[in-house]
Amino acid sequence: MTEPQALTLVQLNRIIGKALSRPDLSEVWVMAEMSDARLSRGHCYMELIDKDLDTGEVKARIKGVIWASAFARISADFALATGRNLASGMKVMVRGTVNYHSAYGISFIISDIDPSYTVGEVERRRREILMRLQKEGVADLNRTLEWPRVPWRIAVISAPNAAGYGDFIHQLYHNASHLRFHTRLFTAAMQGADTAPSVIAALDAIATDIDSWDCVVIIRGGGATSDLVSFDDYMLAANIAQFPIPVIVGIGHERDVTVLDYVANMRVKTPTAAAQWLISQGEAALQHLRSIGTLLLQSVTDLTAHAMRQLAYMESALSTAPAAAIERADARCRRAAITLAGAVSRTTSVQSARLDATAEALKIASTRAVERARMLLGSRAEMLEALSPQAVLARGFTITRRADGTAVRRSSELSHGTEIITTFADGTSSSVIQYTNN
Amino acid sequence: MTTNQTAFTDIDQLSYNQAIAELEDILRNMQSDNCDIDKLTLYTRRASQLLNECKRRLTVTDRELRDILADMEK
Repeated sequence: MTEPQALTLVQLNRIIGKALSRPDLSEVWVMAEMSDARLSRGHCYMELIDKDLDTGEVKARIKGVIWASAFARISADFALATGRNLASGMKVMVRGTVNYHSAYGISFIISDIDPSYTVGEVERRRREILMRLQKEGVADLNRTLEWPRVPWRIAVISAPNAAGYGDFIHQLYHNASHLRFHTRLFTAAMQGADTAPSVIAALDAIATDIDSWDCVVIIRGGGATSDLVSFDDYMLAANIAQFPIPVIVGIGHERDVTVLDYVANMRVKTPTAAAQWLISQGEAALQHLRSIGTLLLQSVTDLTAHAMRQLAYMESALSTAPAAAIERADARCRRAAITLAGAVSRTTSVQSARLDATAEALKIASTRAVERARMLLGSRAEMLEALSPQAVLARGFTITRRADGTAVRRSSELSHGTEIITTFADGTSSSVIQYTNN
Repeated sequence: MTTNQTAFTDIDQLSYNQAIAELEDILRNMQSDNCDIDKLTLYTRRASQLLNECKRRLTVTDRELRDILADMEK
């Protein structure tokens, strides 16, 4: 019986090691997702994994290491290019060499990382989320919400006892203008796999009493790690996009962007900046109050000054007005007198002319009348002359009277023996009736 | 209350926005030509009350601030 040819484990591993030491396993570029990344004595250990796109099941896995000697440079370059630190959940493109250690097994010793791949991956994922939200018509809902005039009731979502939260609260409550703020902390995990669900839970808690809040501020605890990948989450983004009051996110730094920055009403770089913005809103409201106060004072002053000027004017006008009125009335009287005199003199001259003419006419008329009367008288006298009994007698007529002097007008008045007296022009003679033939 | 006196809403009942809107109304009225001098005092007093109330709501007193900060440290 021959001893079977057996290798020691060391010998086996040496063979494996030799077999793996191939040029096509050296300094090769590999795309993978980083998982379970952790730092230990300056070295960065991780699992590089490849997940099934549909099921999320891990299809491939290898240990990855970045030695401290390379890590400082690689992580600095990466942070500079991507704006974030290397962390679990990131899609990375790494260059490395497969190494086999007899005691620790296979690992991938990373010598370089291409940050642009990660940027592209993160960007692609973010764009996918945004496009989906846009297709659902909710992407801009929170962004277009109107702010209350003074946002002072603030629901804060953060990790408790975190530096960023402390900064925010300190800044808010020590504002120089003594602005009143009311805050409450809704705790949530701000890194790791729990981030999205716990932030959503906090939002739900705020939503149950939505009327008590003016806005939501989501701030990260701070610290060195910049594990933002967990914020690029569809469900979280959808919740924030549709939240009924404005949401401020302050979870990144200068160059960190997450999908939340695109859907939240406002993005600030730091928790302190969020506090400063809220304070500035309050200060603007205070300034507005002050300007209203100033304008009111100005208006009241103007109005009373104007009223006083008006009074003063009326006062001075009143002191001179009576005298002026009398003077004016006097002048008017004088003018009237002059006018009257003129009118009177014109009227009397007309009248006296008319009187003169009348007197003349009267004189002529009376003379004529007298003349006419005289002539009339003359003719009447002649007529009278002609009619007088003397003239009749002279013309040969006689008057017969009885002895008592009464005139005899008819022969029948006389009878035989009646004495009659006949008057002639030059005297009378008496006779006795002898005969009547009546 | 007589008819020529203006009825003001109780300031406690007003929201901050309503108070500001009333202040701006009063200001507009005073800046217009038809401001009633008889009501100037009335409006000025009202405006001053509104201003103070708005300011009071916006700001905290030192004592309140101390209470809040003490509360948070618990």
